[in-house]
Amino acid sequence: MRYAKAVLTAVILLATITSLCVQSGQKAEREKVVVGVIGPMSLPEGMAEEKAVKLAAEEINAQGGILGYPIEVVVGDTKLDSNTASTEFRRLATIENADVIIGGFSSGVMLTMMETMAETKTLFLADASSPAHAKKVAENYERYKYWFRVTQNNGSTFALDLADMVKFLKVSGYDASKVYIIRDEHVWTDPVVEALKPLLEAEGVEIVKDVRVPRGYSEYEQLIQDAESMDADLIMPILAIAGTGDILAKQWATLKPNLLLAGHDLAAIDAEFYNKTNGMANYEIFIADGGALVTAPPTEKCKEFVEAYKKKYGHYPESHQAYGAYDAVYLYKMAVEMAAKAGEKDPFDPDVLVKYLEKFDASNPAELTRPIAFYKNHDLMWGDKYVRNWISQWQDGKQYIIYPDSVANGEFKLPPWIEK
Amino acid sequence: MIDVLLKIIVFGAVVGGIWGLVASGFSLIFGVSRILNFAHGAAFVCSAYVAFMLISSGVNVYASILAGLAVSGLLGILVYSLTRPVRKNEVMVIIVTLALALLIQQILLVNFGDRGISIIPLVKGVVELNNLKVTNMRVTSFILAVVSLVSLDLVISKTSIGKRILATSQDSEAAMLIGIDVERIFILVMVLSSILAGFAGILYAQIFAISPETSLRALIYAFAIVILGGLGSLRGSIVSSFIVGYILVVTITFLGARWSEFVMLLAIVTILVVKPTGLFGVEE
Repeated sequence: MRYAKAVLTAVILLATITSLCVQSGQKAEREKVVVGVIGPMSLPEGMAEEKAVKLAAEEINAQGGILGYPIEVVVGDTKLDSNTASTEFRRLATIENADVIIGGFSSGVMLTMMETMAETKTLFLADASSPAHAKKVAENYERYKYWFRVTQNNGSTFALDLADMVKFLKVSGYDASKVYIIRDEHVWTDPVVEALKPLLEAEGVEIVKDVRVPRGYSEYEQLIQDAESMDADLIMPILAIAGTGDILAKQWATLKPNLLLAGHDLAAIDAEFYNKTNGMANYEIFIADGGALVTAPPTEKCKEFVEAYKKKYGHYPESHQAYGAYDAVYLYKMAVEMAAKAGEKDPFDPDVLVKYLEKFDASNPAELTRPIAFYKNHDLMWGDKYVRNWISQWQDGKQYIIYPDSVANGEFKLPPWIEK
Repeated sequence: MIDVLLKIIVFGAVVGGIWGLVASGFSLIFGVSRILNFAHGAAFVCSAYVAFMLISSGVNVYASILAGLAVSGLLGILVYSLTRPVRKNEVMVIIVTLALALLIQQILLVNFGDRGISIIPLVKGVVELNNLKVTNMRVTSFILAVVSLVSLDLVISKTSIGKRILATSQDSEAAMLIGIDVERIFILVMVLSSILAGFAGILYAQIFAISPETSLRALIYAFAIVILGGLGSLRGSIVSSFIVGYILVVTITFLGARWSEFVMLLAIVTILVVKPTGLFGVEE
């Protein structure tokens, strides 16, 4: 019995000393805040994320860092491949000891990274649009609570914005009652079109044809003429994977059919799109996925950001992913500072930070390049007061938000060759 | 029905003409030097990127296009230089040219991103044929492609340099024995073929747009067309380019865009099952 007591005392003593050592070690060890950025680094999306995170880190470091700790940025390249993404995420989380990881890009790759995130319990301020990600958080909160969608709205909101686009055109005097859809031959467009159909039907709009095109498809002239022969009022592209929205815009501008080009063409969001199409993107209407445009910044912070980006890198953001990545660094800083102010023992603890990030809800959005707020499933809040895919138009080399009025900085212009 | 037929004839001809330029060069290189040049698609995109870059910097359009073609030609010399030491080893040739193609694709990706670039059409406007709108650039491209292909065929079959090329393609050792500088012929063919691909790229970028990924697409098309026509057969490649063009357009018209490439590849496989040497190939 005496021996047992002695052993028990020794074990308790050892555990106490070890725990003290670990705690003091942690405090002594933290000399910096490590921010990981992950994405396809040879693509505009990944490049923009890396540059935006570095810019935010530089600004924050110039102001004294986060709670006095300077930010160090570490980079992972997914190469748009799930296995590589998972390995890189693990490296950033476990070897580089990233406190938070920002970025991601592409829904399929994101699903794999979410598993690594759950295993390593790493805070992930993410970029991808599939509803499946937030569903995971809702269904298994404890495992996936570290994930927050920061960059753009859930993909199912595209249908809401496309329907609003048609309504807006009608209000503006362009009766778009016949729509010809050209969309990616890819699973991501199915829920968008499924959700869009009843919304358009309710408005009395007919979908005259729904054409799917494979990746790299280029023969749009035939489809444009097909749409014209069916008396369509607008061609609605829902294109990202095809990667040839520029060809569609160019061939539409060359043929000058009596119909609008208005939809979700991911390429059109690129600030360089106009130049790359030699101005043929003029009058194309698109939705600004990500909720910000270079020539139509929705907040003051956004305005400052795009100019700072141009000053540092010599050009404007090459992809809308830049806004989300930049916001994510500031959002992380805000959450850590809120946790520290509330007296949390470790304000960098991911489990602690989840609680503070969740405080950015409908009534309390974080005013960054866009107003950021989260739903309970950690999805980015959609709406006029938050982030939405603003209905926008290319006009003489500039992108203008034309709807809703609360953020619009331009008016809808009908291409001069259209007579309706 | 006449509208549909007209659409198929016009659109198929233009697509066939452009791919004919790429495939004929690919076929010529293989026919003469027995090299499967996997960097052929790189010549297709590089010319367009160089021309786009120069035009954007304010250089004269025609000078920019000539510079683009010159870069394609230089790429041909680079392929020749890299493959010369390993020419006897077919696997090494494929690895070297494929590595070069991927390297060029990465350079373009890093510098221009994955989104396409397009050259403003030299010929503007649209011509209407029985309610079918055809851009003047398409018509011009078709004419230029046909003129280039016919000229190539004439050069190969009628001129003395063409005969030297033919002799080298039939038996390079025998050609060497009768005094033909085979290495010079190899360089000439490589440069000529790369310029043809570059020219196709310039035309393509005016009708469509070009991205780094287009190089792989051009290579796949060239490969498929050349195999269909019969490896090494120049005329076979030209004819099969138009066959491929028409298959694509007919499929888009009757089955839908999503099936276009699937049907094209299925048709090629079917033809090869029936005639393994390709349409114009002969068994060695």
